[in-house]
Amino acid sequence: MDRIPGQIGYLLLNEDGAVISSSGDLENDEKSADIVMGLITLTSQIDPDALPNHEGFKKLSIKYEGHSYIICLSNRKIHIVKKLNSVDGAALSV
Amino acid sequence: MEKHLDRVMDDVLSNPGVTSCVFVDHQGLCLGARGKASTECAGIIGAIADQAAKLEPQHKSPIIVFENDTRACIIQRNGTITGAIFKNI
Repeated sequence: MDRIPGQIGYLLLNEDGAVISSSGDLENDEKSADIVMGLITLTSQIDPDALPNHEGFKKLSIKYEGHSYIICLSNRKIHIVKKLNSVDGAALSV
Repeated sequence: MEKHLDRVMDDVLSNPGVTSCVFVDHQGLCLGARGKASTECAGIIGAIADQAAKLEPQHKSPIIVFENDTRACIIQRNGTITGAIFKNI
């Protein structure tokens, strides 16, 4: 995760929301970890009518003016990366 | 206000790829919905916007984007109103 361009911090959580590893702006940031776990819990309840076949989401981005949080689930772990937005305003792809 | 919101929702839905949109007030009550989305998801959308805003309360409300391979759901709070747009990508 250290090699992601524009990365300024990351958190790796297990399925229960416990911090496995972290660095940069998100080092030992359990408050952010709790908030993200709350968001993921809410996500499972998003509108089934607008999303047929019970398909879920793969990636969650939270975009602020200068930076973004990119969150995804892989290998039963939750990966959270905080990164700067690219110069032209579009988020860099992970 | 309802007429204005109706017009905005029609405008949103006329964008390419947009399948539905929902607007929610600060209490999580549905102000309006267009397309396939049901009005029942209003509370969840409001709660998601609230939860994401806690991440950095000193900043303006963020744009929240949920994505999978074919669809995206974009949520943003502006003042007391939260909008959600479901689209195909």
